[in-house]
Amino acid sequence: MLNKKQGLKPCFFNKSLLLLDFLFIIFVMDRKSKIRNFCIVAHIDHGKSTLADRLIEKTGTLEKRDMQNQLLDSMELEREKGITIKLTPTRMIYNFEGEDYELNLIDTPGHVDFTYEVSRSLAACEGAILIVDASQGVEAQTLANAYLAIDNNLEILPVINKIDLPSARPEEVKKEIEDVVGIPAMHAPCISAKDGTNIDKVLEMIVKEFPAPKGDENAKLKCLIFDSYYDNFKGAICLIRVFDGTVKVGDKIKMMQTGKTFDVNEVGIFVPYPKAIDKLQAGDVGYLACSIKTIQDVSVGDTITSAIEPIDQPLPGYKKVQPVVFCGIFPADGSKYQELKDALEKLKLNDASLQFEPEVSQALGFGFRCGFLGLLHLEIISERIEREFNLEIITTAPGVYYLVHKTNGEVLKLSNPSSLPNAVEIDYIEEPYVKANIFAPPEYVGAIMELCQDKRGIYQGLVYLEEKRVRVDYKLPLGEIIYDFFDSLKSRTKGYASFDYEMSGFERSDLVKVDILLNGEKCDALSIIVHKDKAYSRGRILTEKLKKIIPRQLFEVPIQAAIGNKVIARETVSAMRKDVLAKCYGGDITRKRKLLEKQKEGKKRMRKIGSVEIPSEAFMSILKLDDGDN
Amino acid sequence: MDCSIYVHIPFCESKCFYCAFASFSNIENEQKKYFENLEKEIKRDKHTANIKSIYIGGGTPSFVDCNYIKKILDLLMKKYDVDKNAEITIEVNPNSINESKLTFYKKIGINRLSIGVQSLNNLQLKRIGRLHNKKQAINCIKLAKKVGFKNISCDLLLGLEKENFWLLKKSLRPLMKNVTHLSCYMLQVEDNTKLKDLIEKKQIILPNEDEVVNDYQRVIKYLNKHGFKQYEISNFAKEGFECKHNLNYWARGNYLGFGLAAHSFVGNKRWANAKTFDNYYKGIKELEEVLTKQQIIEEIIMLGLRCDLGVDLDKLKKLGYDIQKNPNFNYLLENNILVKNKNIINLLPKYYGVSNMIIEKLLN
Repeated sequence: MLNKKQGLKPCFFNKSLLLLDFLFIIFVMDRKSKIRNFCIVAHIDHGKSTLADRLIEKTGTLEKRDMQNQLLDSMELEREKGITIKLTPTRMIYNFEGEDYELNLIDTPGHVDFTYEVSRSLAACEGAILIVDASQGVEAQTLANAYLAIDNNLEILPVINKIDLPSARPEEVKKEIEDVVGIPAMHAPCISAKDGTNIDKVLEMIVKEFPAPKGDENAKLKCLIFDSYYDNFKGAICLIRVFDGTVKVGDKIKMMQTGKTFDVNEVGIFVPYPKAIDKLQAGDVGYLACSIKTIQDVSVGDTITSAIEPIDQPLPGYKKVQPVVFCGIFPADGSKYQELKDALEKLKLNDASLQFEPEVSQALGFGFRCGFLGLLHLEIISERIEREFNLEIITTAPGVYYLVHKTNGEVLKLSNPSSLPNAVEIDYIEEPYVKANIFAPPEYVGAIMELCQDKRGIYQGLVYLEEKRVRVDYKLPLGEIIYDFFDSLKSRTKGYASFDYEMSGFERSDLVKVDILLNGEKCDALSIIVHKDKAYSRGRILTEKLKKIIPRQLFEVPIQAAIGNKVIARETVSAMRKDVLAKCYGGDITRKRKLLEKQKEGKKRMRKIGSVEIPSEAFMSILKLDDGDN
Repeated sequence: MDCSIYVHIPFCESKCFYCAFASFSNIENEQKKYFENLEKEIKRDKHTANIKSIYIGGGTPSFVDCNYIKKILDLLMKKYDVDKNAEITIEVNPNSINESKLTFYKKIGINRLSIGVQSLNNLQLKRIGRLHNKKQAINCIKLAKKVGFKNISCDLLLGLEKENFWLLKKSLRPLMKNVTHLSCYMLQVEDNTKLKDLIEKKQIILPNEDEVVNDYQRVIKYLNKHGFKQYEISNFAKEGFECKHNLNYWARGNYLGFGLAAHSFVGNKRWANAKTFDNYYKGIKELEEVLTKQQIIEEIIMLGLRCDLGVDLDKLKKLGYDIQKNPNFNYLLENNILVKNKNIINLLPKYYGVSNMIIEKLLN
């Protein structure tokens, strides 16, 4: 549509250069006032993707026939691949009162692991649609997302969804939004994204309520990279929002954080598939390809400017994304090491935050030590390896990295418990802490504080945001958070608490390594680093847990937890007594053989520590220690 | 070729709670049609075979009219070259037998009885849905001996509710004195059985595995002491009374199966008849497979280790599997779980109870 207009321009106005210039300026100015850049934020399952699909359909961006595909694809992607796969931003044309408006919908991931990515997506918009479920009302992520949008100075348009449900209570929910979130909501459109009710109203309000982008297309180039992905033919693609200036094919650009320069090969928009156009200018959202070989050269949050005429100051808010959670990933079948390596390399093409390096474990063989943004990121990556690359893997307990100060003055940075030096060589250890903000209704403050205290948290403060919302601030060791903090928080607050954290640095802690011995043999992949005060309870829970997971073997198997040579807990798996097909006559040998083949197949995921077979789940089980009740 | 024959009689007076076999009650009017089709099936068979054993099993073969059995047996004798010393077994239940029936069986050439005793405790018998009682069972054995049966086997179930070795001994003692063969099965809870249903409803609570295995080990010792040698996981016999028919299964000999759901194995080919009457009458097969080398190896190990026949290592080697290169093999040998005598390996009977686990370790 835009292309067409620009294409027509010379034919109509080539009589007078002056007139052309004049009209062109009017046209350009006019054009920007018709752009709306916005995103949709919501608590999970409140209907974010359904509304997005409905908007795309209503504006005729996709044919109804394609629509079905798009809808299915996106749902499948979201379900299967979680949130790292981001929907591309979509440009929709909406005609309102005789004028065509260009609506750019920018999708956002929705989890605390990706808070930074969300904030960059929001930074590319002027407005945010806040969807609230008409029967569920305001929930934890509604609030967290709304605050993120407020932090980014976005205009927020609340929308009440699912009014087709019999349990819908739109008026109460509006009141709740005003009370809890603190934004006016009485004029919020009541819609059903499912059956299409009042979608027009939403489109109308996007045009009316959200401000048009500001910026000057003639100023020096200033763009925000809010996302990136890897294309096999074009290399790393930057998804950008242009704040000032114009970028077109052939321009020389510069990434302000890395200082690297590139020649622009292609610029384009998403309709919703990528479509090349002449140029992108202030206010536009689109993509930019310039033969960038690796995704690591594209940092989300970085500012792109002209290499010839650079701006002085980058856009604010850039952070270098660092992995904070680490675990070992090993192929379940030891011979598949190379395949695992290929899989990780392919995933890294599209995911700049994934880090990995080779690791060797006595128990698990060759594998990789991998770094992630958080637990969810870890789960997504391991799931993708299993599904997309059809590789069975064993993941070890997730951990953080520590700064180990040795008595000889050396400082080691390590994340793998098995590489911790002997206790005598260690002067002290520092572990990463985070500043955590927990939002919840006041009645849960007691439960939250109890949990934080149990997780070695340091109380920082308590703020009453309004009558029904408080913010509890704690400093917490990251290592405690990645255990089961999230689950415990959810269960203790009935899902009402939302939780956000940022790294605050390293602090000295009294940490020890707990080893696990099976039948007297140390299993390196099961070692953990814990606070001294928790070593006994963790050791006990761990041995109990392993007792449940390790199947009975031909002989009895002692399971011990030890600090150094001191055993702190012991359990025993008694010997297997009965594993037999008592009746094997009547000639039906096939069924019996199949039973045995199945049993053998089940053993494939087992690892051998000495003579003890342990299932791969054992390695992950350390993660799910619920010691909240101790 | 040397061969065994199995004939399946899928009729019962009532189905026992634990039974997952192809057997049906209250369909007496099906019998005529079934036997007609059974005859047709036998007549259709194109194998020429030297028959070493015949086993008439079920269901409850003793539940149907004796003349049906006679007709089938006569047909088999006529069609195949049945050895003079062939072992010919019929399964009977104490409640569907009498002296004249037994005499009749003897007369038509049957020389071995397998009696479904299961227990000599009336309460236990009721719990598993059996129709007979202790008195009938004892009487059945007496009659069998009276009419001249020399080779008598009884089935016994282990692992019933509220069972203990003391109770088991009360069943074992009278049987030991009067029969030549005992099959002692640990009760297995199969899907789609009344037993499973009752357990899920908590109307039956079975003893835990450890208790059952303890009883099983005691039974083995007890029977060994009284002249019954354990020659397979669940089978015990006086010298020379091992069941030839079952040994043929475990030795992977040829066998032809006739009747509903019956399995056959000739060469390296297995097939099985349909499990429903209609499909069986139409000649539909439930299974047809030619074993792969890998499957043959698996079967040799699986079947050889469950009985005292053992596994011939040279045989495996010829099939391309050098089991001595399997690290588990040496481990099992060193720990006296397996014994090797020349080129034959055997599982120590002590470990029969965990045989699956060991067999699985030895598969390549």
